[in-house]
Amino acid sequence: MNGQIHFTLNGEKVTSDRHANERLLDVLREDFKLTGVKCGCKEGECGACSVLLNGVLANSCMVAMGSIEGSEVVTIEGYSKTKRFQALSDAYAQTSAVQCGFCIPGMVLACEALLAKNPNPTDAEIRKGISGNLCRCTGYNAIVEAVKIAAREGKGLW
Amino acid sequence: MVTFSNGYLVDNLADALKIRSEIDVTPYAGGTDLMVDAKEDAVYLFLNKIPELRRIYSDEQYLHIGAACTYTEIFENSLSPQILKDAIDYLAAPAIRNMGTAGGNICNASPKADTALIFYVADAKLRICNTSGERILPIEDFYVGRGKTVLQKDELLVEILVPKQGLEHYYYKKVGARQALAISRVAFAGIFTTENGIITRCAMAFGSVADTVLRFRDLEALFVGKSIAEAKSLRSQFIANYEQAIVPIRGRVSAEYRKSVCMNLLEDFLTQNGI
Amino acid sequence: MESISKSIPKRDHFPKISGSAKYVDDLSFEGMLHGKIVRSTVACADIKEILIPDLPEGYFVIDKNDIPGINSVHIVDDDTPVFSDGTVNYVGEPILMVAGKDLKVVNRLMKLIKVVYDEKEPVLDMMKSETIFYQYGYTKGDWETAFREADKIIEEDFQTGYQEHTYMEVQGMIGFYENGKSIVRGSMQCPYYVHTAVKRAMGLESDKVQVIQEEMGGAFGGKEDYPSILGCQVAVAAYKTGKPVKVVFDRSEDIICSPKRHPAKMHYRAAIKNGKITGIDADIVYNCGAYTTLSPVVLQRGLICATGVYNFKNLRVRGKGVKTNTVPNGAFRGFGGPQTFFAIEMFMDHLAKEIGMDSLSLKESMVVKQGDDSATSGKYHFHIPFPEMIEKLDQMSDFRKKREAFRNQTGRYRSGIGLSLVYHGCGFTGSGERDLIKGVVKIVKNTDDTVELLTAGTDMGQGLKTAFAKIASDTLEIPLERIIVRNPDTDRVPNSGPTAASRSLMVVGKLLQRAAEKLKQDWKPGEYQEFVEKYVHPDFMIPWDLSKFQGDPYPDYSWSANAVEVKVDTLTATTEIVGAWGVYDVGTPIDMAIIKGQMQGGFLQAIGYGSMELLDVNDKGVIRNNSFSDYIIPTSMDVPHLETEVVENTYENGPFGGKGAGELPAVGGAPAYVEAMENALGVNLHHTPFSQEDTMKVLEAFKK
Repeated sequence: MNGQIHFTLNGEKVTSDRHANERLLDVLREDFKLTGVKCGCKEGECGACSVLLNGVLANSCMVAMGSIEGSEVVTIEGYSKTKRFQALSDAYAQTSAVQCGFCIPGMVLACEALLAKNPNPTDAEIRKGISGNLCRCTGYNAIVEAVKIAAREGKGLW
Repeated sequence: MVTFSNGYLVDNLADALKIRSEIDVTPYAGGTDLMVDAKEDAVYLFLNKIPELRRIYSDEQYLHIGAACTYTEIFENSLSPQILKDAIDYLAAPAIRNMGTAGGNICNASPKADTALIFYVADAKLRICNTSGERILPIEDFYVGRGKTVLQKDELLVEILVPKQGLEHYYYKKVGARQALAISRVAFAGIFTTENGIITRCAMAFGSVADTVLRFRDLEALFVGKSIAEAKSLRSQFIANYEQAIVPIRGRVSAEYRKSVCMNLLEDFLTQNGI
Repeated sequence: MESISKSIPKRDHFPKISGSAKYVDDLSFEGMLHGKIVRSTVACADIKEILIPDLPEGYFVIDKNDIPGINSVHIVDDDTPVFSDGTVNYVGEPILMVAGKDLKVVNRLMKLIKVVYDEKEPVLDMMKSETIFYQYGYTKGDWETAFREADKIIEEDFQTGYQEHTYMEVQGMIGFYENGKSIVRGSMQCPYYVHTAVKRAMGLESDKVQVIQEEMGGAFGGKEDYPSILGCQVAVAAYKTGKPVKVVFDRSEDIICSPKRHPAKMHYRAAIKNGKITGIDADIVYNCGAYTTLSPVVLQRGLICATGVYNFKNLRVRGKGVKTNTVPNGAFRGFGGPQTFFAIEMFMDHLAKEIGMDSLSLKESMVVKQGDDSATSGKYHFHIPFPEMIEKLDQMSDFRKKREAFRNQTGRYRSGIGLSLVYHGCGFTGSGERDLIKGVVKIVKNTDDTVELLTAGTDMGQGLKTAFAKIASDTLEIPLERIIVRNPDTDRVPNSGPTAASRSLMVVGKLLQRAAEKLKQDWKPGEYQEFVEKYVHPDFMIPWDLSKFQGDPYPDYSWSANAVEVKVDTLTATTEIVGAWGVYDVGTPIDMAIIKGQMQGGFLQAIGYGSMELLDVNDKGVIRNNSFSDYIIPTSMDVPHLETEVVENTYENGPFGGKGAGELPAVGGAPAYVEAMENALGVNLHHTPFSQEDTMKVLEAFKK
């Protein structure tokens, strides 16, 4: 008997009938219509597909469905309902860090993962935290500035 | 145990070994190598929920690292030696480090494997199990060629055993194309130990330059048992031996480049240690 | 700072950051099929036969035989086919499309299709090409005498490589055919380019083709002409199948088959007399690839820039764009300028050494000023702020002091600092604005007194929507929230021209400003009003003559000074980029944060072009490094210290004083980086990207 895959997605318990060897990225986009999770390369090199898997940053293109049985997945759609997101979004708006936007959902989750572990990061720590998220538009400066602003102004959030 | 289409999820080692012995499966720990060129008909044995494979603990002689420990877990564990942390720190990027595992790194059998290089120079052993029992072998004996290991179809890599002593005095340098998300182009790791002025260990390993990680114990032996002064007098011979032994292959960078970097780092390692 | 320069939150900020913005691959339509293109695996061949397996119900093959109009994509010339006409001229050339409901099945079918080639010898080396697509040349003064009377003639060869855009969102397009009308939606910079091309391929009139731009995940020029090809392909596929057809590339496919920056080989000569440069002679070759696409204009711009920012009285510039059996090259931020600017900046550094001068001093003594004649016998009509920019750059980077300090280094680490001075001509090259584009905009005031701006301008992240809204809001003096700017739809917007050539702010923005001024004068509350504004060619310009290659190819230029500092580890030949500084003149910044974003992003791309972005075609014409792990672009950790500043130099003919900004920052980074490497290594260098291996070769040569 081939089982369904059970996991929690943006706070809700869900199931998938997909094969265990299929990519989480494809399942999120195609079955759950969570198109905020982007596909940039399908080889784990760009981070556009980043999600939070059991609280840690993961490239959903590199995750096979069978490995997430019983796990918690958070995408930008779920994260965007949080106060932490609001702080990051306000900060990104201040520095106009969103250009084409394609890297941004993944980038925001990378920022969350970074701040959750390190609420007052240095420039170097920020750059390291987002080092797996490629951006071709911004040159990264505005994003780094935004994280500093969010850390400073998001008092007590992280 | 859960059976999926194209996958098995187990929560203990015994069940994992049983499946391994009965069904043609691909062991899956973190997925960060397997999923790059994922085959449509792949059948995975998911190992990421097996506690025996996710432990890091220490006994008198060895640090035991479960094969399915992620790079991040190893990095954040206070038991992990700094040389290993350094290698992990420069490996890929945070998301890959959160999912990728040491066992996957070893079994993927790429000569570029960042942690395999460290395990080579640290004289690590691998504990490999099947339903009949287990075997423990030095990591050098695990590889038989490019992308080829001695892992049998019914076996699983369970643990990496890293001898604890003498890992503090090390040299590590990785050359990649950029500061992050960089596949290793040349990598060098060295461990140097003296006791009462006598060299007891001069271990050196070279990654990404040949079909497997390179280590030449027989050449290292030239220095073992010698004083620093004696070793210094043998420096040219030592270097000449390595000059001959290291024959890099061309990859994304030329063999000449790789050779130059290997020899430069080797010489610097010696110089740093007073030789 | 002008009040318009004050930054505001961007219009598209929230949809993009919340993940709700829809890019083309996020869209689905009822009955939609997925298409994948079968591409040539050889560089030059006739196709003898194509073996296609039996297709399951609902799966189609679309090829040249299904094209209702002409099998040709109009770009500048018409030689690019929609689908192969029976020959293939580069690896990756589209042969046919497979379309069907399930992408997995489409992929399986593709693997079963066998193309039988009759292979021919490909031409891969641009210097061995016998097909010249385009050729231009010009002179100024008396270069022949200058060279005849020279004390010394210095000759050097320079080389620049490919650059791949790596926009984070790959190329993608959806085609529809409904009631005799072709509709194309997708990621594109120029909806009207796609419109013209689809009309031709489908054999339809203007009102029977509709092109809609979807949210774009980056472009940088890579989606300037290519969408015309993909647009025709999906339009034909939708026509044949009767269903919507979506084609979205894989990343490796995108790297293999989409346009790149033209590789170039450039031969420069300088005549030196009495320690002064009396003449310059440049001979330029650009590798166009297999079809012409945008090459004529890229080459023109490259040749215009060939003598850089310097006031040479006697010069000759010749250039040609040649065919090779490689991917057709196209637009990439800078559009032909970065190549020749690389050459002239490196050449000037070397000439300074010959003459015995410090490189910056030589450059400073020769930079152009307002009123000087340009290389093509036009004029620099407006102020050129080099003195201010160089001073500012020196303050930011400490260039002069470091340059001195970095002489005669020993030790494991070698530091170096390099500098470049460049420009970018604003607007479409030559007489294009006046003769080809003839841009038109429309402003509509609705009865609820909201105002919609109708242009063909596309926002690819550069902030076009926000900038246009600000221009209108400030002119009309109504709140920003009352200004509507949508992604263009050719059914609704006039043709204001392509989103390219750094023309959107300066040209289209100016038209919007004029239209808004007219609306303001004649504002009728509660009434529907329309204002149309057409391009007016500036009358101060000396007319451009392409056949003579003389005149003003641009109304004005944006200027930049860049410095890059490096630290080379001589053991590993790896380079740490310690600092990067850029000063830019873009007229009045329409929004400071948006401009900064353009400066910083472009500068980092240029540094990539100088250092790590190697792309190679092997001896079979194949691009081997066709993945993100293999084509290396900068991460957040590669240039941690990158600073940009603007100098304000208002351009009266631009909206609120603004001029072209988007491409300028991509022009000067590479020569600044490579000059820094020269400074660190103590040798003259001649090519970009200058890699780790190149560095090791220099270091090893020193050892011997």
